[in-house]
Order: sequence, then structure tokens, then C-alpha cells
Amino acid sequence: MAKLTMKRIQIAALMENRKEILEYLQRKGAVEFSDEEDDSLAKINTSEMISQFEKYINTAVQAKGILEEYAPPKKSLLSSLNDRRELTENEYSKYFSQRDEILRYCYNLVEYHKAIADRRAEIVKANTQADMLRVWLNLDIPMAFEGTKLTRCFVGTLPVQYSKEALLGKISELNPELKELDIEIVAASKEQTCIAAVCHKESANDALAALREIGFAQASEPIKLEPKARLLQIENEIAGYKKDIEESINNIKSYSDKADKIEFLIDYLTMRRDKYCALNKIGLTKRTFILKGYIPEKYVCGIVSELEKKFDIAISVTDPEEDDDVPVLLENNNFASPVESITEMYALPAKGDVDPSPIMAFFYYFFFGLMLSDAGYGLVMVIFSAILLKKFRLKDSMKKTLRMFLYCGISTVFWGAMFGSWFGDIVSVINVQFLHGTTVNLALWFDPIKDPMKLLLWSFAFGIVHLFVGLGVKFVTLWKDGHKADAIFDVIPSYLLILGAAPLAAGILIPVPAILGSIGKYMALAGVLLVILTSSRSSKNIFARLGGGLYGLYNMASGYLGDVLSYSRLLALGLATGSIAGVINLMGSMVGNAVLKGIVLTVVFLVGHPLNIAINLLGAYVHTNRLQFVEFFSKFYEGGGRAFDPLRVNTKYIQFKEEIQNG
Amino acid sequence: MANLGLALAILGAVLAAFMAGIGSAKGVGIAGEAAAGVISEDPSKFSKVLILQLLPGTQGLYGLLTAVFVLSQIGVLGGKPLNLTVWQGLMYLAACMPIAFVGLLSAISQGKTAAAGIGIIAKKPEQSGKAITFAAMVETYAILALLISILTVVNLK
Repeated sequence: MAKLTMKRIQIAALMENRKEILEYLQRKGAVEFSDEEDDSLAKINTSEMISQFEKYINTAVQAKGILEEYAPPKKSLLSSLNDRRELTENEYSKYFSQRDEILRYCYNLVEYHKAIADRRAEIVKANTQADMLRVWLNLDIPMAFEGTKLTRCFVGTLPVQYSKEALLGKISELNPELKELDIEIVAASKEQTCIAAVCHKESANDALAALREIGFAQASEPIKLEPKARLLQIENEIAGYKKDIEESINNIKSYSDKADKIEFLIDYLTMRRDKYCALNKIGLTKRTFILKGYIPEKYVCGIVSELEKKFDIAISVTDPEEDDDVPVLLENNNFASPVESITEMYALPAKGDVDPSPIMAFFYYFFFGLMLSDAGYGLVMVIFSAILLKKFRLKDSMKKTLRMFLYCGISTVFWGAMFGSWFGDIVSVINVQFLHGTTVNLALWFDPIKDPMKLLLWSFAFGIVHLFVGLGVKFVTLWKDGHKADAIFDVIPSYLLILGAAPLAAGILIPVPAILGSIGKYMALAGVLLVILTSSRSSKNIFARLGGGLYGLYNMASGYLGDVLSYSRLLALGLATGSIAGVINLMGSMVGNAVLKGIVLTVVFLVGHPLNIAINLLGAYVHTNRLQFVEFFSKFYEGGGRAFDPLRVNTKYIQFKEEIQNG
Repeated sequence: MANLGLALAILGAVLAAFMAGIGSAKGVGIAGEAAAGVISEDPSKFSKVLILQLLPGTQGLYGLLTAVFVLSQIGVLGGKPLNLTVWQGLMYLAACMPIAFVGLLSAISQGKTAAAGIGIIAKKPEQSGKAITFAAMVETYAILALLISILTVVNLK
């Protein structure tokens, strides 16, 4: 249990078996490859192959995204919980033989997608053009019309609004010589006036100069067609683009039944890429190769014997060296494995650490239940997670999470029953409001809303147990590593100090038997003395030692005081759940009429309690984590290990069966 | 002024609910802005940043909790308000102060810590446990204030 023992494995085999052996190891997923550092051995450079695979994978992933966008698969929300699909051998060989074709599908899909994007850009462009043209619709000559044999024609815009008379007047003012000029206003608005001006060829330059003086700009994109015809043309173009888009979309949709195959391709390519990455790490001689790595001890026997049976191979398995960077893999029973993810969230155990998950598991469920502490809410959790666990073929990680919620739910039911909280005080509310009874006390132990002081003291007591277990783990680890003196002097004084101080502190709040008080006094005193004498035992100087001891005492006392007080959150969060649930029930029973009250209460109940569950689940989760991370782990746990990352079949959609050859 | 005492007690309850509530709203808002920024880059981090965003929300609940305790104890929730003396009313008011002020300020600080934690998640999502722990550290003081408020209120009976 806990942290798996790792071994170093070294395999030497014939070059010709290289791929087969790697594939076998990949299927088993039990060996993490280390880089070969011996310079006398050759290496294969597979980076080109790898980048090629990456490119294919990207295309396939992109293609899958495109398919999902245009032809979304019909999936229920819950089906995403399901584990990867299993592939029969028949399907596998069928897909495998089609892999080039599938890749072509992917390229086609990407192509169609690009076509759609292109056409959309064209449509935007055409639309702006059309908008520009619309003001010119009244013009019945092409905008690029330059004139006849004897005349010149200018089509363009002026920056302000003019009427025909005003404009002609303005121009004759500017150049009185100018005659034989006719101007037609095509459109006029506040921003601009669109005009077509016709004049005699000889006075063309003068006319243009006069027009320019008042800001005339010739139409920038002279078009050979009349605006109306041109607009029609553009509209036809847009319709054509739209049809193209439609067609591309239909083309994409026609691939919707290929989604499975594309998923296969992604997984298949990923697998091959991983294999080539591993190939990079092995060392070569002319006819043999050498592969080094880490393997969990429990897999050694099976893999070694099978490899030796199949191939000409030399395998040596040794213990890791002192300074090796050994990877960490956790394995626990069903009760403790759900909290492995909590451990991972903090940090994997470092070399000297034990795996805290098994010890933490009990406290995790215990505190979680105590913070949520409503039997009704607990039941909801239990039922939900049990149904999901039963009905679905879940991914492993999902299974663990749900099992964690199951255990936390059971603990919540337990504490809820102890405190008599079932969806808050709903039983009392129904009894009083509808059955004209009195409030009922369902608590098996006591109701913390009526006596919070009692639960506060119990919270501290639970906290002290939690801290002591953490210190106990430290004691055992130090003792086992041979640091027996450290084990005793680091742990025992804390035990004495806390155990002694606890009855003294409790005495402030509740009556404590005198005998406990006086025992506590002496224990605490003994603890204080031990801390002062031993906490800086490494220094030789007697005064430095005393000074260090006093400082150590201050640190320890304030540290543990803070730690223990921190467990008051057990009470605070428990009270929060119960009293908010009570408020919800109260809101539901505020109406007078009995029938109406029943309806309102049902509605408020169905809306309010799920909300309360959600908020308090979050609170319980966060604060249980905090108690483990800050108060518990700080007593004995370092963290900082590296996760075991073997060469394996790391697929997203498809589960390859053992027997299938992985290309 | 027979009811001034009652009014003072209600004032305490209301202050607890609304100051802590303002703090939480502000804290959740600060964290939410940071969370939205992360989601615009990577929507798959939603569940992780959501937890952090909601952390500063608890102070509002603590304020509510204190208010409910006070209101039920002075009979306002039961519909039979007690006749409190001014001194009694002042005591309730005083009892509500810790969670009112610590709730207001700690929720805002926690919001800032949570926003910084969301920054951690943006860059190193696997470190979310630590980000949560940092934010949860701030909450300790709100919990301590809540305890003093509740214990005082309960013992005023």
C-alpha cells in the first residue's frame, strides 16, 4: 500500500526486436524511460518523425473540432462521464488499414473549413462594396464613364451637401469663364454629395480644377458597369459564396459518421508519437540497444519473465541509488485511494515521506461530514454518487472522485443524525405548521445550534487528535530512519504541552475536574521544560541553547494555539449549514393559508436546499483540504515528489485491448 | 423608549448581515473579474477558478448566520419580540461587531488573495491546491470573529 517501491530496470536486447519490445512495454505501461547518458552509445534521432506525427495529430484534432462544430454528436451531459470506448479486434484492424484514408478525411475537413472562412471574408468584402454602390443607384452611366468624342465626364463626390443650383453658382463664382458645364446630383446627404459632371473637352481641365477646389474626389474604383447592373452582379456573387458555404457545410456534415474513425486516428497517432519519444531515449550499439528506466517492484516479475520468454534479452533490476530522482506512484485500497487526488493537489510525497493518503482518508471523511453535518444533504450525496457509480462505466479518476463523495456523504449522514439535522429542521417545521404538533428533537447526541459551546470544545478535541496523529507519523518516520533522539525530543514535548494545556484552557469555558487541572499543570510544565532544554539541542553554547529553547517554546506555543483554534471552523461551517437550512424552511412556511403554505414550502425547499448544498459542499471541501494541508501536513509531510510517467497507451477516446498490436 | 433596546439589537443583526454581505459581494467580484480573464483564455479551467471565486462568499454567510442567531434570540423571527433594555440591546449590537467588521474587510482581502490564486491557476493549474490554501488562510480570521460573535450572542440569553 501507499507509495509503491520503485526499482531501476535495465534491458539489453537485439536491435531487430527493438520495436516489438517497446510496443510490449507501452501496452503494459509499467516502465518510465530514463535518458541514456552514456556518450559511447549511439542515439536515434526521431525528432523529425515526432514533429511529423504532431502535425498529423494537430490536423486530426482540428478536424474533430470542425466536425463537432458543424455536426455536433448527440450526447447527453452524463455520457461525458463514461470511460473510453472499447475496440474489438475486428474494428481495430479495419480502422488500422484505413488510417491513411482517415487522415485524408481530416485534411478534407480542414480544407472545407478553410473554404468556409474564405467565402465568409469574401462576403464581408462584397457587402461593403455593395453598400458603397447603393448611393449611386440613380446614376445611369457607368462610374468609369469618361465622356464622348467632344465631352468629358467626371463622376465623384463632394464633402458637403449641395443642390444643383448652389453647386453651379459656386463654380461660376470660382471660375466665371467656365461654360458648357452641366452637373447632375445623383445623391446628396449631409456627409457627401454624389455628382456626375459633363463639360466640353476643351474646358475639362478648368472644370476639374474648379471642382477640386471645393473638395471634389473622383470615384476611386471606377467600374465599367452601371451601378445598378454592378450591384446585381455583386448580389449574385454573394449568393454564390453563400451557396459555396452551404455546400462546404454539407460536405462537412457528410463526414459526421467518420467521427469515430478520427478519434481512433488521434489516439493511434498519439500512441505512435509517444513510442518515438521513448525511442529517443534508448542507447544503441551496432546490433543491440540498451534501455534504462524505473519500474514499480510489483510489476517486475511478470514483465521480466514474459520478456525473457519472448526475446533474446538481458534484464537487470536493481534498487535505485541514493541520489536517483525516483518517480512516485501511489496505490491505496478503496477507502484511501479517493483522497490520493487531495494528496496530489498538495504535492506527491518526496523521498523521505510516507504517503499520507491512508492516514488522511479517515480524517478527511470525518471532518467533511462534521462541516456539512446535515443528514438530508448527506443522503443526497450518497444517492447521487451511488447511482452514478452503478449506472455508468466511469473513468478511473471520476470513479475515485465519486467514491470520495460517497464516503463524505456517509459521514455527513452520520453527523447530521448525531445533531438531528435533516434538511435543517424540516421535520419540526412540518410537524408544527401542518400537524399542529410541537418541535421535535431528532438529535442522537445534541443540537449544536442550541449549544455551540459544546461543539466548539469537541472541535478542538477532534483537532488535537488530528494533530497528534500527524505528530505520531513524524515520530514513526524519524524513528524508522534511525533518528531516535529527534523522534523523542521533537514529538514528546508537544504531546505533553498540548495534553497538559488542554484541560487548563477548557477550564476557562467549562468546569473541569480539579484533578485533571492539576495533572495538566504538571504535564504542561514538563513539556515547557523539555522544549526549553531540547529544542535547540544542536548548539553547544549553554546560553544559546537556553535562548533558542525559549524561542522554540514561543514558536511552538503560538503555533499549536493557532492550529487548535483553526479547528473552530468545524463548528462554524456546521452551524452555517444548519441555520441556513433553517432559514430556508422558515421562508417556506411564512404564508398563512395551509394549502398555499404547502405549495410555497415545496417550491422554496426544492430551490433553496440544492443551493445550500452547493455552497456548503464547496465550503466543506475547501476547509477540509485546508485542515489537511496546513494543520496536518505541516506536522510531518514534505512533498515534492515527481509523478511516475511510464511509456503507456495514453488514449483519449479508445481503449485498446491488451491483445491488440499497437502498430 | 421601551423598544430602543430591541431596535439596537436589530441594528446589530442587520449590520452583521449587510457589512459581511458587502464584503463578500466585493470579494467575490474581485475574484470573479480575475476568473473571467482566465476563462477567456482557457475555458477548461472553469471548475478550478470557480472554487477560488466562491471562497470570499462565506463571510456573507457568517454575517447571515449571526443575524439569524440574534433575530431568533430576541424573538423577531418567532414573531414575539422581547422587551429589551437599552443595555441589553447595546450588548447585542456589540456582539455583532466582530463579524460585521472582520467579515467586511477579510472578504475583500480574501477576494484579492483568490484573484492572485486564480493567476496561479492560469499559469500552473496543477498547483490549484496551494492557491486554495492561501485564500483559505485569510478566512481563518473571519471564522474567529464569527465564533466570538456567536458565542457572545448565545451567552447573552
